[in-house]
Amino acid sequence: MTVQPIVAEGLTKTFGHDRGISDVSLVVEPGQVFGFLGPNGAGKSTTIRCLLGLYRPSRGQARVLGQDPAAGQAGFLADVGYLPGELRLPDRLTGADVLGTFRRMRRGHHTAYEDELVERLRAELTRPVASLSKGNKQKLGLVLAFMHRPRLLVLDEPTSGLDPLLQDEFASLLRETTADGRTVLLSSHDLDEVQRVVQRVAIIRSGRIVIDDTVASLRASAPRTIELTFDHDVDARPLASVPGVTLHVTTARHVTLTHTGAAAPVLTAIAQLQPDTITARPADLEELFLRLYGGTTHAD
Amino acid sequence: MPTDLIRLDLRLRRRMLIGTAVGAAAYLLLVVAVYPTFKHDTAFDDMIASNPAAAAAFGITGSITSPEGWLSANMYANFGPLLALMLTIGYGSAAIAGQDRDGLLGLLATLPVPRTRIVAGKALSLLVAALVVPVVSYAVCLTGPHFELTPRWGPLLGVSVAVTLLAFDLGAIALLVGATSGSRGAAMGAAGAVAACAYLISSLSPVVEAVHRVRWLSPFLWAVGDGQLTRGVTGTELGALAGLGIALIGATVLAFRGLDIQ
Repeated sequence: MTVQPIVAEGLTKTFGHDRGISDVSLVVEPGQVFGFLGPNGAGKSTTIRCLLGLYRPSRGQARVLGQDPAAGQAGFLADVGYLPGELRLPDRLTGADVLGTFRRMRRGHHTAYEDELVERLRAELTRPVASLSKGNKQKLGLVLAFMHRPRLLVLDEPTSGLDPLLQDEFASLLRETTADGRTVLLSSHDLDEVQRVVQRVAIIRSGRIVIDDTVASLRASAPRTIELTFDHDVDARPLASVPGVTLHVTTARHVTLTHTGAAAPVLTAIAQLQPDTITARPADLEELFLRLYGGTTHAD
Repeated sequence: MPTDLIRLDLRLRRRMLIGTAVGAAAYLLLVVAVYPTFKHDTAFDDMIASNPAAAAAFGITGSITSPEGWLSANMYANFGPLLALMLTIGYGSAAIAGQDRDGLLGLLATLPVPRTRIVAGKALSLLVAALVVPVVSYAVCLTGPHFELTPRWGPLLGVSVAVTLLAFDLGAIALLVGATSGSRGAAMGAAGAVAACAYLISSLSPVVEAVHRVRWLSPFLWAVGDGQLTRGVTGTELGALAGLGIALIGATVLAFRGLDIQ
């Protein structure tokens, strides 16, 4: 029987009077890139720390690779690669020292795969960490997370500071990882990246999971945006009465609307207004995220 | 043994350890080298005898011109332990609370290393930090016979072990408070306050009756404050120092298991 890499049931963490997370439940299937999104302070990092055993949950439980991370047994961490959202490495060590130190602490050996990762990500190994840019430190963090080929990768804002070419290389690494049957929990604020690489996504807001679904299903239910221009003045208000339509920008000759559900009723209503041009954007998760985030596009 | 954890922590504090070792060695070499100048100066002993309160404040008891009195007054009763404490309290407050704030502890705690083993690594690193000043000091004292200073080597070795344990214990208090609170400032402040109180109790106990009654509370007294450089350190004193250290590390393990790491 295949063990689900992550199962969380009712995870709750409070910090005195401060809000943490409440009743967070997640199931991450093997071989999946699972997107974990939410605005700043929503509870993503708190959830990740509970899953890795860094925080003891106030209530609820989790199983990561079949083990309870709160039980104090570190065995499951041998098969976990972690990249924290704010990566801090010892300033005085060189990149090579950092890799060597963490490799030995994992009781691992230098492998050709580690060299391949260094080459593909163009990680800087000879200079002290203190002299590296944010992007170069992030490359070292990625090598540390991937180099022992863990069954589960927990990556918090992994492409932060990476240039577009390296972001593509990172996406390739994710594809190779899941093709290998391994699993990734990916927290990111980059919605384009999430749409590109994840199969399933959970959105957390104010410490609670508000959506947990596949990207395909979310895309099917995500609002589509349509822009209309006219060479004559129109009254667009009848469009608002079509089920699933929301009017956003309306002037006498320019209308922007979003709609969900079947296209035929809204197209019929639009045709009656005889538009000059119609521009329809494909369904984009960003519209959905904007709605769920309550008007903000950035996650922590 | 968590060798790589120890190596990493010591490497991160290498400059501090080496700097303190060189400073302690240079200072003590000077103290030893000038001993012949004061060896026969009985005025010093008269001054101490006539003003015991002031002498006690500096941890000076007995003859200051004897080899043991000279080393005690100038190194082992005050500067030596304080230098050692500076290293261990600094490391103890940085090792858990400091690394947690810096974000490094979060990376270490997500390695397949149990928290008990992490504390064991920190405790062994603390022991190495505690050894620096006593070992360097003992080595410098070995040059004493070239400067007419020949202390009793057995008691000196015992005091070196006792100072190591004393420094370890105070550093372990910083480690424990850091593992409990996650605050580097609280760890350093609490350990520093305990060290200051312990030193005051030990040094003032010969001249203040009220302090004398509670002198047994001070680990300074167990290590260097009761003529150990002359009479030697007893097994009870070493056992108390070692037992305190073991208890503090045990409490640190329990506290660290419950610490939320950033």
